[in-house]
Amino acid sequence: MKHPSLVICRCEEVTMEQLEEAYASGSCTSRQLKMKTRATMGACQGRVCRTLVETWIHVKNPDGPRDAELLSYRPPIRPITFGQLAKDEA
Amino acid sequence: MTKDSQPDLIIVGAGPAGLSAAVVAAEHGLVVTILDEFPEPGGRMLGQFHEEKGHWWVGKQIAHNLIEQCCALGVHIRCGVSVHGMWKNGHRWVIRTSDGSITAANVLLATGGAEIPQPSPGWTLPGVMSIGAAQVMTNVHFVKPGRRGLIIGVNVLAMAIARELSVSGVSIAAIVLPSQSPLSGKDALPKENVEKLLGLAHLAPSPLMRMGGRAAHSLKMAGVVTHYFPRGGIKLWDIPLKLRTTAIAINGKDRVESVTLADLNGRGEMIAGSEREEKVDFVALAGGLYPLAELASVAGCPFVYIKELGGHIPLHSEEMQTPVAGLYVAGNITGVESALVAMAQGQLAATSICRDAGLLGSQSDTKIAEAKQKVQQVRASALIQFHPGIPKAREQVYKMWAKGCDCVENN
Repeated sequence: MKHPSLVICRCEEVTMEQLEEAYASGSCTSRQLKMKTRATMGACQGRVCRTLVETWIHVKNPDGPRDAELLSYRPPIRPITFGQLAKDEA
Repeated sequence: MTKDSQPDLIIVGAGPAGLSAAVVAAEHGLVVTILDEFPEPGGRMLGQFHEEKGHWWVGKQIAHNLIEQCCALGVHIRCGVSVHGMWKNGHRWVIRTSDGSITAANVLLATGGAEIPQPSPGWTLPGVMSIGAAQVMTNVHFVKPGRRGLIIGVNVLAMAIARELSVSGVSIAAIVLPSQSPLSGKDALPKENVEKLLGLAHLAPSPLMRMGGRAAHSLKMAGVVTHYFPRGGIKLWDIPLKLRTTAIAINGKDRVESVTLADLNGRGEMIAGSEREEKVDFVALAGGLYPLAELASVAGCPFVYIKELGGHIPLHSEEMQTPVAGLYVAGNITGVESALVAMAQGQLAATSICRDAGLLGSQSDTKIAEAKQKVQQVRASALIQFHPGIPKAREQVYKMWAKGCDCVENN
């Protein structure tokens, strides 16, 4: 591992080393990596790092599934205030 | 309810695809609202310009023309409004925005693409930005990202924007390869990059030929044996393109002060002792683009993975329909291509929407055929080809569509 302290997920401050550890402990899909490390779960909801996490796991585990649903999108897909979320909900 | 809160068509994204679609739909009598999270309409066209056959293609001008047409046709453009969710309520879509909800029978997602970063040690320092951010700062906000910068990552986008920055008076020290890691893959190997650029150089008219015939010539010479690619790089206009140099680390205390570079041999191995520091005050990371398709997923559209188109894309027909009733897509959400292709796709999507709404009558087949043909023509003559395999990859998507959901990932 050349850059263990390299930050992959900036929002949740997840490093390459943490991805390696998660992989070594059995996380072998992007979804499992996310559950184990919180990568892609921060304020930007993976808009910056999801392709990095997908590329990284694909290099590690080329036979694994390549499915968009592994890193699912759930509303709200943008950071919004509770006020905005509640607006025009009676 | 006012006309504004209940349009016939809501378009998400006021870029080349969204604006072009709005013009066609409004011309056929549909009431159209466009939503965009950026403070002004135009999308990434606002920052794009390049030289083409001796004159300048200026995206901002094209955007302004489209916006004027939209205004004349009564299209409502709402900027600074983020869409954070959508669902179907009976026959109408409910679009949840940061400024309340609106509903429409049809929705066109023209959300474009997003950038892929190129992580290197030190990439969280202030002064490191994506190449697109450097473009927006320079060409949209007229703020120089720094005095002297370095671009990490070699692709069409990096080269086009390097040229724009240079024209705008921002000095670029070099375009170099990312350091090797499981994240960069083949992007970090000189041979792969020479091949990638040669692949582009073979296209006519190719960006490299356009960007400088000498560069393409040097690349052809270099392509014979990658090993001979000059260690000092070649010059693209006045910007050194260094395919045998890698960025090992971005350095600085509170912000970018320098980048540690090293030379590579033809096999991509670092040459011991070649490390040195290049003084720069900003770094632009160019990892390419991927389709921004969150809303398609939230709306329940199935996805397919197509590498040549930038990754996961919503399944769609050649006519820009998705398997979800009343949901259409156009532009980079369907695969990363140039603004001109996105414009033609937007026109095709709007033609499909009008046909499906029964507005085209006996002319529908002709109009759809014309719009499809236009997309193909524009694609074939596009100056900026993001990936040489695009036409074939497109055919693959349309075959998947024809087969139905058999081959869809999440069936």
